[in-house]
Amino acid sequence: MMKSTHKLQTEQIVAGYESKKILHGIDVVIPNNQINVIIGPNACGKSTLLKTMARLIKPIAGDVILDGKSIHKIPPKKLAKVLGVLPQSPIAPEGISVADLVGRGRFPHQSLLSGWSEKDYQAVEEAMDMMGITELANRHLDELSGGQRQRVWIAMALAQQTDILFLDEPTTFLDITYQVEILDLLTDLNRKYGTTIVMVLHDINLAARYADYIFALRKGELIAEGRPSEIITDELIKEIFELNCTVIEDPVSKSPMIIPRGRYHVCS
Amino acid sequence: MINSSTILIKQGRQRRFRKWLVINILLAALAVGLCMAMLLLGNTIYPISEVIQVLMGERIPGAYFAVNTIRLPRMIAGLFAGLAFGMGGHIFQTMLRNPLANPDVLGITTGSSAAALFSILILQTSTTVVSLASVIAGLVTVLLIYLLSSGSHFSIGRLILIGIGIQAALGAVISYLLMVGSQQDLPAALRWLSGSLNGAKMETLLPLICTVVIFAPVLIILGKHLDILELGEESALSLGLSTNKIRLILILSAVLMIAFATATTGPIAFVAFLSGPIAKRLVGTGFSNVLPAGLIGINLVLGADLIGQFAFEVRYPVGIITGLVGAPYLLYLLIRMNRKGYL
Repeated sequence: MMKSTHKLQTEQIVAGYESKKILHGIDVVIPNNQINVIIGPNACGKSTLLKTMARLIKPIAGDVILDGKSIHKIPPKKLAKVLGVLPQSPIAPEGISVADLVGRGRFPHQSLLSGWSEKDYQAVEEAMDMMGITELANRHLDELSGGQRQRVWIAMALAQQTDILFLDEPTTFLDITYQVEILDLLTDLNRKYGTTIVMVLHDINLAARYADYIFALRKGELIAEGRPSEIITDELIKEIFELNCTVIEDPVSKSPMIIPRGRYHVCS
Repeated sequence: MINSSTILIKQGRQRRFRKWLVINILLAALAVGLCMAMLLLGNTIYPISEVIQVLMGERIPGAYFAVNTIRLPRMIAGLFAGLAFGMGGHIFQTMLRNPLANPDVLGITTGSSAAALFSILILQTSTTVVSLASVIAGLVTVLLIYLLSSGSHFSIGRLILIGIGIQAALGAVISYLLMVGSQQDLPAALRWLSGSLNGAKMETLLPLICTVVIFAPVLIILGKHLDILELGEESALSLGLSTNKIRLILILSAVLMIAFATATTGPIAFVAFLSGPIAKRLVGTGFSNVLPAGLIGINLVLGADLIGQFAFEVRYPVGIITGLVGAPYLLYLLIRMNRKGYL
C-alpha cells in the first residue's frame, strides 16, 4: 500500500451566509490513508464542511490548510492533482460515452491543447477496471442504471488520481445492494492505493461499519470524533440526532450498530 | 499484457475522434462549395475561370463588379456571421446546459436590433454609429439579463424567463419605433428585423472579420474547458478549472462575436439556436463541438441565403429562410423538454 503524506486540516472554519451561518468554527485534522465519514442530522452542516474542505465553498472565516498552505492559494490545477471530489449530484452532458466521461477526470493532468496521452489511457483504464465498468466503456451514460452511473462518476474521480477523495453522499438514491457495493469499492480503493477518503453518509450503521474515523456534527459544531467503536454510543446518538436508541455489536463486522427506539414496538 | 480493456477504450475513443474529424472535413467541404456557389450564382452566371480571374484581381468588365463588389462581400458576410452565430450560440447552450439558452431566445439579438432601429429611425445616424449602437446594446442586454437573474442562487430557468421578458419588452420598443419612424428610413430599418446579407460592403465587414479572427480561435482552444464547465460548477472546480475566469472569457468572446455579426447582417434568426444541437446530433459529445457548430452556422447561413435568393420567384432575405427552418425546431424542442420535465 502506498502512503500519501499529505496533511489536510481546517482552522476555525465558519461557512454559510453572512445572515445564516452553517458552520461555527470547525477544527479538524483529516487522518491520512483512512476512510473518514462525516455524520449528523439533516442541515447540520456536514455537506457544507465537506464542500469547504474540498474548496467548492469559500469559508467566511478560517481556512483549509493542505501541507501548510491555504488551499485557496494553491494553483487550481495543482490542487486538483491532490484533492478530488465527487459532488452529490454531478451533471452529465447528454449522450456522452462512459469512457469519455471518465476521461474528463484527466483534465488537471493535461495541457491546453493535448489529447489523451498513454498515461491518460492508463489512468482511465485502471479507474474503469477498479469500478468494474470496462465493458460499458463505449455505452452512453444515459442508458445505465443508477448504480452503474454512480460507479462511472467514481471512476471519473479515480482517473484524476488524487491522494485525497471527497464524496458527498455517494450512496444516496441507491438501493441497499448498490450502497454496499459502492462502499466496498471505496474500501478497495483505500486498501489498494492508500487513498484518503472523506465522505458524508446518511446511514449511521454503514458509516460505523466502513469508517476508520468518524466526525459527528450537530448544528454546525463538531460534537465528537474518533474511531466508530470509541465514539458511537447511545448518548452520542441521543445528543446528535435526538433519538433514543440501543447500541449493539454488528454481528457481521463487530462494529457498533444502533437500534432506534421509537414510541411504538418497544418491548418493555 | 495488452489486455482487451485497453483496446476497447482506445478503439472507442479513436472511432469517435475519426467520426468527429470526418464530419468536420465534410462540413468544411460543404462550406467551401456553398462559398463557390455564392460567387458563381446570380443574375448572370459567369464561368468559374472568369470568377477566379476576378478574384485574382483582373478587371473583367461586368464580372468584376458583380463578383467583387456584390457577391464576394455577401459571401464573406455570410461566412463570418454564420461562424459567429454558430459558435456563439453553442457556447451559451453548453455553458448553461440548455438549448433554449441562446442569443435568440435570451433577447441579445433583439437588443442589438432595437438599438439599431433607434439609431436609424430616431437619431438618423450614419451606418457606423448604427453598428456601434447595436454592438453596445447587445452587450448591455447580456449584462442586464445577467444582473436581473443573478439572485442569491443562480438559476438557468430564471435567466431564460428574464431573457424572454426582456425580448418581449424590446419587441414593443421595435414596434413603436417602426410606427414613429419616417417612411423613407423604413427599408434600411427592415433588415434589422430579419437578418439579410443584402448590400454587404467590404469596408463595413472589417469589424466582424477582426472580431471573428481574434475570438473564434480563443473559443476553439477553450473548447476542452467548456466541456469541463458543462459538468457543473462543482465538478469543474474539483477538476481544477478556474470557473469564473473561463466563464468570463467564454461569455465575452461569444457575445462580442454575436454582437458584431448582428451589427453586420442583422439578426439571422435561429442560426445560433440550431447550430449547436445539430453539431451534437451529428458528432456526439466526446470531443469539443465548438468547431463543428461554427461550420454548421456557416452552412446554414450560406445555404439559406442561396435558397432565399434563387429558390423562389421573389428574393427573400436569409433570416426569413432560417426562421422558417428554426421555428418548428424550437416548438419540437419545447415539446420534448416539456415531456422530459425540464420546463
